[in-house]
Amino acid sequence: MAADPLALIFVICLGLGLLSGIIMHRSDYCIAGMFRDLFLFRRTVMLRTLCLLIISSMVLFEAARQLGLLPLYPFPLLYSPTPANVIGGFLFGVGMVLAGGCVVGTLYKMGSGSLLSAVTFAGLIIGSAFYAEIHPLWASFIKQTTFFQGKITIPQILGINPFPPVTLIVACGVFFLFRWHKAGLLVRDSQVHRYLQPWKAAVYLSVIGLVSYLLIGMPMGVTTSYAKIAGFAEGLFFREHLDGLAYFKAVPLKFVHPLTGAKLQGGGAPLFDAIAAIQFPLVIGIILGSAASAISLREFRIYYNLPPRQYVSALAGGIIMGMASRMAPTCNVWHLLGGIPILAASSLLFLSGLIPGAWAGSMIFVHKVMKT
Amino acid sequence: MVDKIEFDICGQICPSTLLIALKEINTHSQRIRDGAVKLSFKTDNRDAVVTIPESASNMGYTVHVAKEDGCYLIEISG
Repeated sequence: MAADPLALIFVICLGLGLLSGIIMHRSDYCIAGMFRDLFLFRRTVMLRTLCLLIISSMVLFEAARQLGLLPLYPFPLLYSPTPANVIGGFLFGVGMVLAGGCVVGTLYKMGSGSLLSAVTFAGLIIGSAFYAEIHPLWASFIKQTTFFQGKITIPQILGINPFPPVTLIVACGVFFLFRWHKAGLLVRDSQVHRYLQPWKAAVYLSVIGLVSYLLIGMPMGVTTSYAKIAGFAEGLFFREHLDGLAYFKAVPLKFVHPLTGAKLQGGGAPLFDAIAAIQFPLVIGIILGSAASAISLREFRIYYNLPPRQYVSALAGGIIMGMASRMAPTCNVWHLLGGIPILAASSLLFLSGLIPGAWAGSMIFVHKVMKT
Repeated sequence: MVDKIEFDICGQICPSTLLIALKEINTHSQRIRDGAVKLSFKTDNRDAVVTIPESASNMGYTVHVAKEDGCYLIEISG
């Protein structure tokens, strides 16, 4: 008897989410912190491990492509470049610094007991709901400003095979990584209980990304599930309004699942579709994996007596990120750990917005949130 | 007699843990160096347990880290 493709995907993604949650908690692998610490403290060690993660993913994805293991290349839900990628990336950068974690960082921190991350999670859902209200306007902007229509990656735009540019970038990356390794710049001196060195976390996460690409057909992503939760919640109270929103009618994901050959589809609508089967178990898995790690280390605690400004910052950051991840479209994990390794033009534009956004978020945090 | 000033910064959003620690270290820097005072930060933030000792060590202070009751105590002295 053939396995139900959605059930199979659900189980695989739950496993990948659990592993990711444990790895991220042990290493405190916070991508928002990597960019923020560059601007606030001139600290770059974590950013170097992000370079390792991207280069490692680049090597693994390209090797899999060369071996004919990636029928979906580029993977689904990547689009041609548009200025919306830069604008979305900028807002996302602001939001993730204010929230103290990105869309995935929020999950593993929430799993380890962070109440502020739970507030950010609520903000992500609210922000996704806000986006649904402006979707027709924004979709029209994207349609009018998309360039290199039909081309997604830089090699596609240039009309060349991905192998030469990937090889060149990997060679440069390996050169710098080797220098950093020799100088001890990839290792953190830590007295944290059962600390996982972030460079090891980077390698493990790149392998998890590859497994996801091979077995699901795309790397890890979670943010459409936040829109789905917003749709479920909105449907409980404002069903007629929800039924009138174009965003929840769109079905952007249509693909053939590489493992089973099943034709699957999904979108932001509050239904159990392919998006739900992929992203909900990842979200649940990361939270549970991190919680299990924190409990096993006796570090799971919930603190609520915190400065009110931090609650406001966490909520505002979540709302901004929730909106930005739909406007960009999609999030930092999708673009940095999936799109950039295959040289997607939209992902590079997202990064070009994310960096100044993280700087702006850092300035707002220091001057407004930390103000006493 | 060394005065010990304690700060409970558990549960706070990143990077306020490190920013608070740096501010307090700078405020009390002379008294820490004179051996009159030591600062103790209680945190549950695993990243801060790396960054606070690293920053304080780079500033020339002595750092001691201990895990106690699910949290980390970071002591900064002269």
